[in-house]
Amino acid sequence: MYGKKKNTFTALSNVSFAVPDGEITAIVGKSGSGKSTLMHVMSGLDHVSEGAVLVNGENLSQMKQKNIDAFRAHQMSFIFQSFFVQGNETCYDNVSLPLEIANVSRKDRKAMIETALEAVEMSEKKKSKAKDLSGGQKQRLAIARAIVNRPKILFADEPTGNLDSTTGEHVEKLLFNYARKNNANLIVVTHDPDLAARCDRRIYVKDGKIEKMEGGKA
Amino acid sequence: MRRADILARAGRNLRQAKVRTLLTALAISVGAFTITLALAAGTGGKQYTDNLIKNNGDASSLTVVAKNSSQDSSGPKKYGANESNASQGLLGDADIKKIQSVAGVESVTPMYNVGATYMVGPNGDKYDTSISIKVDQTAVTLGAGTLAHNQPGTGSVVIPEDYVKPLGYGSDTSAIGKAITLHVDKTTIPGLPTEGKDMSFTIAAVSKKSDTVLHYQAEVLLSPADGKAIYDYQTPAQAANQYYGVNVRVASGTDVKTVQTTIEKKGDYQVFSLQDVQQVLFTFVNVVMGGAAGFGALAILASIFGIINTQYISVLERTQQIGLMKALGARRKDIGKLFRYEAAWVGFLGGLIGTVGALLVGLFNPMIAKALNLDKGTELLVFQPLTSVVLILALVLVAVLAGYFPSRKASRLDPIEALRVE
Repeated sequence: MYGKKKNTFTALSNVSFAVPDGEITAIVGKSGSGKSTLMHVMSGLDHVSEGAVLVNGENLSQMKQKNIDAFRAHQMSFIFQSFFVQGNETCYDNVSLPLEIANVSRKDRKAMIETALEAVEMSEKKKSKAKDLSGGQKQRLAIARAIVNRPKILFADEPTGNLDSTTGEHVEKLLFNYARKNNANLIVVTHDPDLAARCDRRIYVKDGKIEKMEGGKA
Repeated sequence: MRRADILARAGRNLRQAKVRTLLTALAISVGAFTITLALAAGTGGKQYTDNLIKNNGDASSLTVVAKNSSQDSSGPKKYGANESNASQGLLGDADIKKIQSVAGVESVTPMYNVGATYMVGPNGDKYDTSISIKVDQTAVTLGAGTLAHNQPGTGSVVIPEDYVKPLGYGSDTSAIGKAITLHVDKTTIPGLPTEGKDMSFTIAAVSKKSDTVLHYQAEVLLSPADGKAIYDYQTPAQAANQYYGVNVRVASGTDVKTVQTTIEKKGDYQVFSLQDVQQVLFTFVNVVMGGAAGFGALAILASIFGIINTQYISVLERTQQIGLMKALGARRKDIGKLFRYEAAWVGFLGGLIGTVGALLVGLFNPMIAKALNLDKGTELLVFQPLTSVVLILALVLVAVLAGYFPSRKASRLDPIEALRVE
C-alpha cells in the first residue's frame, strides 16, 4: 500500500509500504503524528490528493464513492477507542447493523450475529441494551460487530486505549485470534509499545512521515 | 440497505425519543383532526342538505310562472302588443300546450287555487280548514298510512296530525280509511252568501311535522283530479283556465336543467327548480367546509417547522451514529432515507392520532343532533374511510418533504468528523 495526503497542510507525505495478506500491522506514533489520517486513507474514508491506495491491485483512490462504500461494507471493518456502540439498542441490533448495510437478508443475519456474539463470549447479553454493559463488554460487542461480516481487513484505532490492562489483553486476544484464524489483515493504530510489540510489523509514523519499520511477515 | 431494515431502524430510533416523537406528531395531528372534521362536516352537511331538499321538493319537478312585466328591463309594453296570458301574470291553456311540447316534459299540471269553508269529522264539529292540491311528488313525512308517489289518489286526502284529535278520529292509525267531509262554496270571495256543497273523502294518510321540512303547513292535501273538480265548481266561467302557475314533471333520465332553459326560452316564463336551491345550499356548505379545512392546512404548515426542527436536533444528537454507519459502508442515500423515514413515521403517527381523535368526536353525533334540534338519527359528521387514508398518506408525504433538509445534512456529514465527536 502506498499513501500520500495533502490538505491545507500536508498530513502525510512520502508514505509507502505494502501489507501482505494475514499480517498484523501496528501503526505507531504520537497524537498528531498522522497515524489516524493514515488509517482513514487506507480505509477509503479519506482521499489522497496525490498517490494511490491499492487493495488487491484495485486503486481505492480512483473508485467511485458508491464502490468504496460497498468495499467498506463487505471487506473492511473498524474498532474504535471509544467503542461507538449504540447505547439505546440491544447487543443483537448493534451487531446487526453492518449486515443490514451489506444487504444481508434478515434470515441469514440471525446465524451470523449469533456466531459473532459467541466468538466474543457475549451470547447471554444478546437482549441487553449496550448502555448497560461495562467498558470491556462494550469493546467486545464492538469486535462482534466488526467481525460479523467476516471482513478481510480490520482497522483498530487504539482498541485498548480506554480499558484496564486485563480487559485490554482479552480484547487484544480476540482481535489477534480473528486475524490469525481467517488470514485477515489487522491494522492496529496505537501509541502503546507493548501492544505494538506483539504485532508482526510496526510502522513508526512521525510528522507525517515514516520514521522506521520493524519486523514483517515473510 | 434494504428498505424494510431502514424502516425498522427508523422506528426504533423514534421509540428511543418517545416524548419528542409524540409531541411532534401531536402538532401534525391538530391539522389532521381539523381537516378530518371539516371534511366530515362537509359530507354530513351535504347529505343533510340533500335530505332537506328531498323533503321540501321534488327534484324532477319544475315550477313555471309567468314573468312579471315589472321584472322586464326593456320598459313598459304597448297595450295589446302581446296577446299571451303570460303578460297578465297568469298562464292559460295555450301556455300549457307550449310547455307540454318541450322535449323531456312528462306532464304539466296547473296549480289550481281552491279553498274549503269548513271540514267535519266523525264528531260532527265544524272546523276552519285550509286545503291544497298535491301537484308535485315532494316527499311527505307520514305519521300513519301510505302514499303512492307521495300523492293521494283520487277521492282520498292526507290530513295533518294536528287535525286528528279535534275531528274525533282517536289516533293517527285509526283515522286511516275513515271519511272526512269538506264543505266548499261556489265562490271564494268571503262575505257574500253563496251556494255550496259537501264533498266526502277517504283519509289515506296522516302527515306530520319534520325538522327537515322547511315550511310545514297544516293543510288537507287533495289529489290533482279532486282539486280540479273543486276548482271547476268554485271558479266562475270567465276566470276559468287561468292559473298563476303550472307544475311540470320532467321525465326520468332527462336533464332537468336543459328542460328548464328550454321552457324559459319558449316565452315569458320564469322557471324554478329545486336544483337552484340545492346549488345555493351546497355552495354555502362548501364555503364553510373549505374555511375549516383551510385552518387545518395552516396547522399542518406550522407543524412542518416542528418536524424540521426535531429532525435537525436528531441529526446533531446522532452525529456519531451517522459517522459509524458511514464508516461501515452505509451509503449517503441510506442515511438520507433513514432520516426521511423517521419523518414519515412521525407524519403517519400524527395523521393517525388526528383521524382517530376526529372519529371519536363523531361518536357525539347523537348529542350534536339533539343540541341542534334535528331529527333523531341525523348525522352531521359523516366520515369517509378513503378520505382518511388519502389524508394520512398526504401527511406522510408532507413529513418526508419536511425531513428533506435535515436528512440532507445527515447524509452529507463527513464520517471522520462525525467519529471525532465523543
